[in-house]
Amino acid sequence: MPANSALTGALRDARQGTNEGRSAPYLLYASGDFVKVHSVNTEETLGLLCGHADLVTGIQLNPHNHMQVYSSSLDGTIKLWDFMDGIPIKYYCWFQTDFFLWSDTFQLVSVKLTKGAGQDLEGKELSVVLDGVGASSKQIAFGREDSYVVSVKDVDLQVYFFKRKLLNRFSLSTAKTKGGDNRFSCVVCHPTEDCIATGHADGKIRLWRNFHHKKGYTYSSLHWHHDTVMDLAYSLEGTRLLSGGVESVLVQWHNESSCQKDFLPRLGSPIECISMSSDGVLCCTLHTDNRISIINSNLRFSRSIQGLIKSRDVKTGLVVDPRTKALVLNGEPGHLQFYSLQSDQQLFSLDIVQRQYIHQAGLKQSDLVKVAFSARGTWLATVEESEEVADPELQLKLWFYTEETQSFALNTRINTPHDNHITDMCFRDMDELGDDSLILVTTGRDCVFKVWVMVGDSDPEGNVSWSCDFVGSYHNYQATNCCFSEDGSLLAVSFEETVTVWDSLTWDLKCTFCHPPGNIRNICFGRQTCSKYLIGATDYGFLCCWNLLTCALEWNAHLNVVVLQPDPLSEHIAAVSWLSKESSLFVFKPSEPWPVYIQRNLCKEKILLAAFVPRDEPETISSEKYLWLRKSQLFFLTDTQELMTLSTKSLEERLTPSSKQLAVEESLPVTPFSVLLGKHRRQQAQEDTDLGKPVVHNKQEQASPAVKELLHTPAHVLPSASFLCTIFINSLLISKENKSAEEVADEVEMESEKAEDDSDEEDVTAMEQEDTSHIELLGEITCKLSKSQEKELRKIRKMDYSWISAF
Amino acid sequence: MEQPGAGKGGVAPLRDRRSLSRPSLRAPAPHAPMTPCGVIGACGAGARGEHAGGACAARGGPGRGEGSARAMAAPPCAFSPRGCRLFASAGPDGRLRVWDTAGSRLQHEYVPSAHLSAACTCVAWAPAGARQPPSKDGPQRKKRKSEVEGEVDKQLDILAIGTAVGSILLYSTVKGELQSKLDGGHDSRVNCVRWHQESCCLYSCSDDKHIVEWNTQTCKVKCKWKGDNSSVTCLCISPDGKMLLSAGRTIKLWDLETKEVYRHFTGHATSVSSLMFTTVKPTNESKPFDGITGLYFLSGAIHDRLLSVWQIRSDRKEKNAVMSFTVTDEPTFVDLTVSEVKEEPVKLAVVCRDGQLHLFEHILNGYCKKPLTSNCTVQIATPGDGDSTPKPVPILAAAFCTDKQSLLLVYGNALQPVIEKVSLNTSEPHICLVRDIQKVLSLKTDAAVTKVKTPVVNSEAKVLVPGIPGHSTAVKTPALGKEKKKNKRKPGETEESIEERLGALDIDVSKVKTPGGLPQTDSFAVLLVQGLESNDAEILNKVLNTRKENIVKNTVARMPIHAVIPLLHELTKRLQGNPYSASLMVRWLKSVFTVHASYLSTLPDLIPQLGMLYQLMESRVKTLQKLSRLHGRLFILVTQVAASQTVQDVPEVNQTAKLVYEDESSEEEGSDDEMIADKDSDENWDEDEEKEEQSDEQDMTVEKEINGDSDLEPENESEEE
Repeated sequence: MPANSALTGALRDARQGTNEGRSAPYLLYASGDFVKVHSVNTEETLGLLCGHADLVTGIQLNPHNHMQVYSSSLDGTIKLWDFMDGIPIKYYCWFQTDFFLWSDTFQLVSVKLTKGAGQDLEGKELSVVLDGVGASSKQIAFGREDSYVVSVKDVDLQVYFFKRKLLNRFSLSTAKTKGGDNRFSCVVCHPTEDCIATGHADGKIRLWRNFHHKKGYTYSSLHWHHDTVMDLAYSLEGTRLLSGGVESVLVQWHNESSCQKDFLPRLGSPIECISMSSDGVLCCTLHTDNRISIINSNLRFSRSIQGLIKSRDVKTGLVVDPRTKALVLNGEPGHLQFYSLQSDQQLFSLDIVQRQYIHQAGLKQSDLVKVAFSARGTWLATVEESEEVADPELQLKLWFYTEETQSFALNTRINTPHDNHITDMCFRDMDELGDDSLILVTTGRDCVFKVWVMVGDSDPEGNVSWSCDFVGSYHNYQATNCCFSEDGSLLAVSFEETVTVWDSLTWDLKCTFCHPPGNIRNICFGRQTCSKYLIGATDYGFLCCWNLLTCALEWNAHLNVVVLQPDPLSEHIAAVSWLSKESSLFVFKPSEPWPVYIQRNLCKEKILLAAFVPRDEPETISSEKYLWLRKSQLFFLTDTQELMTLSTKSLEERLTPSSKQLAVEESLPVTPFSVLLGKHRRQQAQEDTDLGKPVVHNKQEQASPAVKELLHTPAHVLPSASFLCTIFINSLLISKENKSAEEVADEVEMESEKAEDDSDEEDVTAMEQEDTSHIELLGEITCKLSKSQEKELRKIRKMDYSWISAF
Repeated sequence: MEQPGAGKGGVAPLRDRRSLSRPSLRAPAPHAPMTPCGVIGACGAGARGEHAGGACAARGGPGRGEGSARAMAAPPCAFSPRGCRLFASAGPDGRLRVWDTAGSRLQHEYVPSAHLSAACTCVAWAPAGARQPPSKDGPQRKKRKSEVEGEVDKQLDILAIGTAVGSILLYSTVKGELQSKLDGGHDSRVNCVRWHQESCCLYSCSDDKHIVEWNTQTCKVKCKWKGDNSSVTCLCISPDGKMLLSAGRTIKLWDLETKEVYRHFTGHATSVSSLMFTTVKPTNESKPFDGITGLYFLSGAIHDRLLSVWQIRSDRKEKNAVMSFTVTDEPTFVDLTVSEVKEEPVKLAVVCRDGQLHLFEHILNGYCKKPLTSNCTVQIATPGDGDSTPKPVPILAAAFCTDKQSLLLVYGNALQPVIEKVSLNTSEPHICLVRDIQKVLSLKTDAAVTKVKTPVVNSEAKVLVPGIPGHSTAVKTPALGKEKKKNKRKPGETEESIEERLGALDIDVSKVKTPGGLPQTDSFAVLLVQGLESNDAEILNKVLNTRKENIVKNTVARMPIHAVIPLLHELTKRLQGNPYSASLMVRWLKSVFTVHASYLSTLPDLIPQLGMLYQLMESRVKTLQKLSRLHGRLFILVTQVAASQTVQDVPEVNQTAKLVYEDESSEEEGSDDEMIADKDSDENWDEDEEKEEQSDEQDMTVEKEINGDSDLEPENESEEE
């Protein structure tokens, strides 16, 4: 059974890791069922950690090894990964005292690690630490040196001290609020001090101190945000606190004072999550539009990683832009996003509505509801409407792609093209006829469909604009769908229960089809060899195929079709059905009543939309079953806004990195600076030995007890400074004396003139030691080998002895 | 490596040589050879071909000339294999930039540590790797798009960069960092780097006359041999990976096993700048294919307007080029589609130094004497609207997309090129694309936070609102019978007005239309008819802007019947305009309908005649409800504001009660006041308190009054207090 997969899930959690000793830090984030590893420098995906069967809920770097990461998932497992290789090291892991997970009822549970060797481990020792914690990982934080854990929920703050096994609860009284909402939204702990910063729904940040005592706690507040503080993050040293919220402004508070703050405004969309890298150089913010911004420590935006923007409702459907071959759908409110499927990244988004989006609850915003491209992508038609249900404010805009400026330009704007919601829109797709015969049809709930054509303006420049050519209706039924036949000669418009077919030249009604009961949900014409068929799906779960030549029903099937999508490059039509909580895919040719391909249980979610995207080059598919996927690829969008596709290749095939052979070994040359530095250091070491300076630190360690005592004794019991001075200085001079003593010893053995040679020799030995250390590192394998050889030798000896004894 | 005379004299005669015919080119060059300035597939001269020679001449000096000849070479650039998703170009500032071809966006920038001293001379992407064989069973799985992409990324992640000092850098474009540095192979400028298709070998050639085979895993020199007597400028590996073409001025075919020369090809007078195999299989299948015999390859040299095609033959007879392609200038970037079938033509895209792109389409089948000219020439120019003249925009590079039809064009400034995918109609011999690169480019160094583009919205866009012609037409229901569709796509042509005709006749019209004195009602009717017939706006304004109901009624009654429909059309036109004039027109309309209803009802084409008017009225009336609602709300709002202002203006009315009985519960009131004290509307409450206090005082007095003599006047009372 094939596993379902998200093409691009949401970026859910972001944690940054840095690879120590190198300049390229990595960014890890959870996306759907995967954890993705990104390079901060290039926006490219370096690796993908796949193995979880469900949504990844959280990731956490291994504090003891920065190349490893833990990930927790809804499938009930926690995995430890070596993220550079993408290999899961252990399943359901281990760890020391403080590894925590959230179970279904949202308890904070501590898992005792078992240092088992196997990959699959079951966590047996679970102990509940905190009950009733928030569902989000933002509402839990670990304090300095992991001595306590803080959890916030609603108006309660809980602090649990591990060593004392003490639980302190603080709650903000709701009575104190002046119409505000002071519930906790997030919590973070100071890395070095006992201080807790909490974010609140009313935009305040409270800094809690002295929370070891139930009564004597204090808090101060910082206030800039006007709405909920979505997340907080401390810098590495704890001197800076970052906060973000719906304002899409990153605020940096210095030294916990409300007057010193810096801002990074215009980050595009509300901040959901803030994360600092482990070296404190970078921070990243996760935004609601499925984007990660990487920000330097001096609050400079460096780059962003953009996923598929999640809009509340994809009303436009999945449309393919013929020019860029990108998938076009709703993005941010009022925007149209162009998503490149070849490179799995957003190309750009087009601001169609061009109105400032105001984040405020209850505001009626305008959004795009319909989008259509002409066959060559030169014309783009968009319909935008305000969110009002009863009396929508509609605008139909026609954009022309000007190649000169490489952008769309508005050609015609039509206010209230229909008196009620527009239900469907399509261009007459005629490639060979060119743009002069372009026709746009819109259908509306005001019981009419309108035909828009291009007219030349009277001005000499020969500009064209659009105007209405024909308005048709049928018995005052609401028009629901429209589509043109492949050659453009016929237009099918569905009016509730009836499909009407119109001649596109004279706009005469040719014939009607109907399959009662139930309204028509989808209609489409067959293509190529099947162009004489018209397919319709009804509400009552029937898929009908009418023959346009005989005007009779060819065949019908009982199927609750949600999506009906014809392939523009072949005669195949994909129908997605939704029955008893599972979606199934049927691919068929209209000429044959039996499907070419059936895929039951495609996914658990309801599939809302589908699109065939033409491939760049036809794929060679050996299996006959999938020949329909040769020229184009099928994509689905589910109601959880995951984009999925059908692939002809197996998982293994896709996962084997074909270019392992090209894994070039890293041999970085020494930079001039390092050469210089190395030389300098070596020289210094030489000088040190030449001068007879042994490593000072060791000596200091020897001398340290005396000095320590001196420093740790209270001042009032110490003797006078003049007395101490000599002792102190002597303690510092010890090294010299030691050395001289050694030299004296040397002198006893050898002549004083050879002392320098000695030191040189020492130098040589030191070098040798360094060398041997290298050799040791390198020679471990050879050591092992020799051991095995020894064993063999021993065996032989034993054999020999036995043999001899047998004699 | 200094070539005497390679400076001044080396460049100047080239202009003459371009016009020479092919045979003379084969003869030994009359001047000292130039050092190459470019590498195959990775070199370019860009836009500045015109003044390149001048720059050379100005610098002078034999040694300097060589250097400047290199400096003028356009930065090396290369498309990533398999789909051309990325485009790498090394700028003259030594920085390597990787562009996203889909969005024409700078992906990232890499500055080599020695970018000022050791400029990039050539770049080459690691090969896409062997294609995976299609699986036999083909298990169906939903594919994770990103996984595949990850794979692809890994495949094209290494970029080999040759430098001017002889070292080769391997740069990972995925990680954005230097992977390794290959040192110790060359001691002079690296001219070309090529990856082997299967093994992870890298071949490089240099000015030091040597070819080096590298093992990229260990970063060590695998083999090094002398390739030519002069500098080796270009390399190409055969499709089967067993042979290597190298070129200085003569082209040599090496056997990679033995490192021995297999064939010689001579013919280029200058150093070869590009080498490419055009076929993977020999065209005649009669003989068994040994991997190399029968293949064609293409070569282009610097300062040479001809690209030569050579065939590797089993007999060593043919040493000359089998055919040649002629272009307008020195080729700087060459891309081709490899023909796999015999009948399939080879498509060749050659970008020249003058910024033009030439497209060739030819089936390679043997010898052809005449140089072939291009099927299609592509140029790009700025629109040049207004007073500015169109300027040519140089094309920097071009590559065929995987569908072998559309092209990726890189044009504009080398520092910030525009990358566009175009599908061209190659049947036209000359194509000029107009691109406004000023508007396309936004010279910004900072990365944008979001990728939001704003489409152009200018005033030229037509706006259709309900009631405007073209917004809607009459609803046609199928019950209405079949009518012939009117072609409304052409706007109705307006006839010349009488005034214009008279003006054309050169008659003094001012005398004709001075009516003198106030117009009477009957003259109004005449005027109206005249105005309608002549379509004279002045007369019509005079008549139609009247406000008197009586005059309107009389005029309409007296006008002839044939003028009714024109009048209605005129009224419709005026109704669509200013709402103020619409209110006047409605009166006319009303009287027309009341007086001429019987006539109108007799008209057979009444519905199309009055359809526009009907829709106009409909759309106007539809908003009436909303408008009246809005009007009501605004009215309330305005009156409220006005009322509050008047309240403020009016001096406060004395609200003190004349008679108040005081209860015991006054303390409670006080506590209430305290509670409310920190509310926002403090002032009002304070005022009230004051008032209450006042009233308390007055109460006392009143009580006194009650207790005391009521006859006493208040003034006296106060005096008493």
